[in-house]
Amino acid sequence: MTTPTLSRRIIRSLDFWTLTMVAIIVMLVVLLLLPIGRVFALSFFDARTGELSLNNYIEVFTRNYYVNGLKNSLFVGFMGTLGACVIGVPLAFFTARYRIRGKALISTLAILVLVAPPFIGAYAWIMMLGANGFITNFFAGFGINTPTIFGAHGIILVFTLKFFPFVYLMTQTALNSVNKSFEDAAENLGCSAWQRFYKITLPLVFPAVSTGAIICFVLSIADFGTPAILGRGFRTLSTIAFSAYTSELGGTPTMAVTVSLVMMAISIMALFIQRAILAKRRYASSMTNRPVVQQLTGTSNVLVHLFCYAVVIIAMAPTIVVIYTSFLETSGPVFTGNFGLNSYQRVLSHTPQAIYNSFKFALMAVVLITIVSALVSYLIVRRETAFSGTIDVLMMVPYLVPGVVMAIGFVTTFRMGWFDLTGTATIIVLILFIRRLPYGVRSTMTNLRQIKPSIEEAAVNLGASPPRAFMQVTVPLIMPGLIVGALMSFITAINELSSTLILYNSGTITMPVRIYLAVLHGEFGLAAALSTILLVCTGICVYAVFRFAEDRESSFV
Amino acid sequence: MASVNIINLRKTYGDVVALSDISIDIETGSFYTLLGPSGCGKTTLLRTIAGFHFQNSGRILVDDKEIQNKPAYRRDVGMVFQDYAVFPHLSVEANVAFGLKQRKVPNSEIGPRVFEALRTVQLDPYAKRMPHELSGGQQQRVGLARAMVINPKILLMDEPLSNLDAKLRVDLRAELRRIQQDLGMTTIYVTHDQEEALAISDTVCVMYGGIIQQAATPYEIYREPANRFVANFVGGNNFLAAGAASTRVSLKADGHVVADLPDATSDPIVAAVRPEVISLSPDGTDTGRDITVAARIKQISFIGREIEIVAIDSAGSEIRAILRPSPELLALKVDDQAGFGFDRADVQIFEDSETGRRLV
Repeated sequence: MTTPTLSRRIIRSLDFWTLTMVAIIVMLVVLLLLPIGRVFALSFFDARTGELSLNNYIEVFTRNYYVNGLKNSLFVGFMGTLGACVIGVPLAFFTARYRIRGKALISTLAILVLVAPPFIGAYAWIMMLGANGFITNFFAGFGINTPTIFGAHGIILVFTLKFFPFVYLMTQTALNSVNKSFEDAAENLGCSAWQRFYKITLPLVFPAVSTGAIICFVLSIADFGTPAILGRGFRTLSTIAFSAYTSELGGTPTMAVTVSLVMMAISIMALFIQRAILAKRRYASSMTNRPVVQQLTGTSNVLVHLFCYAVVIIAMAPTIVVIYTSFLETSGPVFTGNFGLNSYQRVLSHTPQAIYNSFKFALMAVVLITIVSALVSYLIVRRETAFSGTIDVLMMVPYLVPGVVMAIGFVTTFRMGWFDLTGTATIIVLILFIRRLPYGVRSTMTNLRQIKPSIEEAAVNLGASPPRAFMQVTVPLIMPGLIVGALMSFITAINELSSTLILYNSGTITMPVRIYLAVLHGEFGLAAALSTILLVCTGICVYAVFRFAEDRESSFV
Repeated sequence: MASVNIINLRKTYGDVVALSDISIDIETGSFYTLLGPSGCGKTTLLRTIAGFHFQNSGRILVDDKEIQNKPAYRRDVGMVFQDYAVFPHLSVEANVAFGLKQRKVPNSEIGPRVFEALRTVQLDPYAKRMPHELSGGQQQRVGLARAMVINPKILLMDEPLSNLDAKLRVDLRAELRRIQQDLGMTTIYVTHDQEEALAISDTVCVMYGGIIQQAATPYEIYREPANRFVANFVGGNNFLAAGAASTRVSLKADGHVVADLPDATSDPIVAAVRPEVISLSPDGTDTGRDITVAARIKQISFIGREIEIVAIDSAGSEIRAILRPSPELLALKVDDQAGFGFDRADVQIFEDSETGRRLV
């Protein structure tokens, strides 16, 4: 009598949130684990003999073609990350600690660099420094040969300028929250300004710097557009995986997935190494003493300003070039030198479908992401069970799985006999949804963590069932987080290339895919016009994030 | 308005026993306070009654009906939260109307009831304000109005005053008591503040380690603590080293005989004396009380209305005396010897363990 019977306990546990949890787990298994599992299984499948074996991996780690790709990926990934740190950390330090005119402009530009379509940088640099680039031609006029942009150093340059904002924004946030008392204490104990920086401040912000660096590294390894456009014979794992996929088309893409999984393993290893290093460093900081912003004078003031502006302007250069070229008249692949809107006319007459599709897919994905991230973040933040912990961990997975892997997984999972999603809009919406869901969840979780659980308990106590309490109290309170999450996932979804490039067909082509194809075919005018349209959409969303987010900069990393 | 009976309630988190076999009977209309240090289980008990936790076993009866397996939103118990939990996106009146709307009360009825509840907590001029425009004390009044407007069977309050400053805390606690008595609402109140518990309650239930130590009227809790924990936690106490020879108890210091036990014991015992009953003779001579213990002064703190003197007796026990300030007392210095006097009737004898039983 005193203990509830078993059936009663089961009924009691079948509440709204338990059912939601089950639904979410099923969804993650189908859309995330199953495709990845399929890819994983494929990598052990020998395409020639049809047997299970380690042959694919043996081939990747022994054949020069693949080993070089691996070395190249690691090389450009590592160097790109290093470059991003070398310019990102000083930029963060200068803007956090010194009075810089136009600080807001600098961080806005850095964010625009971050959200600009990933591969336009590559081809804009071709327009500047390629064989017929205007900078190349300018210097050639004086008889000076500029170094070519193609090859490893070009890729590293693009990665550095493309990914430094991660390091910059994360480090800056950390620097702003280092308790000044630590630095005061060091000064009191006899440290000079420089010693204070590298003995106290830098170690304290190291977790943030390394997190930014890991993001750079993971994105560099997975980046497909840049090496595809700038590689010219310099092949990385991502370009090898893509060409393996296209050459295996119709057959089983075993080599493509094996190479992709090696890429993924590198990212995961990098993340684990960083986690292991960070595990020993826990700096809980109570913000009693805010850091002070100093006014520099004289030469150092000028040099610091020069550095800050040079970094963001050079990083913005590709974007500016793209916008500029979109307004140039073209005749076939050749720019005539006059201004005009015929690139835009060509967009409208040749590929209105791409624009329509991009918006349709991204918006549909964002609606799903917003609904699901509200539920998922509630489960993770409010329900501290083993299952919600698992969901939390699974939310990391899409960050780490390259788009190519997800896309091949989707193709092999959702094409079975009569059940075939390939070539449909649904499969593209679903892949955008699962790949960008973490953006929505993260932003919503941050918001939800600031809301006291007692608010929801009060609603339940007053007679609202859990789903009603959620709709009437929780959702209105996490609305800012949901909006920022929706915008962030929209920005990243509409710019998606690596997975859609594998999944698209003529009916489901999107703007980034069309831009990529245009660049490959030398239609720079068309590419520039489409890129400008993408940039404008993205810019509008960034502005909206600025309006809604409390901590604007950290929303982007 | 309802009576509450809690029967053999048990709640564990893994190996940790949060509530161990709790049984409580609360009369209709009474103000029942759960008092204890943090981690004693008082909040767990309150939240289990509210339905935010589920017990491992045991029953909770409100008006003789079992509610322990109902979900929180069907329990019909009002709750006032420590951090107010006023919905920040709703106006004051919308906050108060929230529970009525959940109950599908007709709109024509909601307006007057909300107004009446706000008038009771003296917030009727603030009906249209948003919560962020209110002070902490006002927000907690909204929380109270919101909980009582639904006419719950019982009202639960989880340290409702602990986030307010000292002066406001005292004012609001008097008001809470007045409203509770006017409405005659059965109330279960959680606090760690013993003064608040004594001031406001019909019954105080002292909890420690998930176990009820004593449940009685405030006066009884203070005057007749059931065990050493209650004697120490409520009101503070001096515990002087003592020993029993057969039934006769004497202090280790100077061998003063302080009490006679009903039964002989060989277990370790202590003698408890409240700091406020002690008189002090600054020159160390007899205080004119039954017993005077000589002790060396360790610390003197003047705190305005009273002066607190802490000293060590010859057996090493600490004696704390709370006295009215006087020039002789203020002239005392650390390391001075003084006499600390009290009567045999002031002495209570406990077994010397954390929750040791009271013997005399």
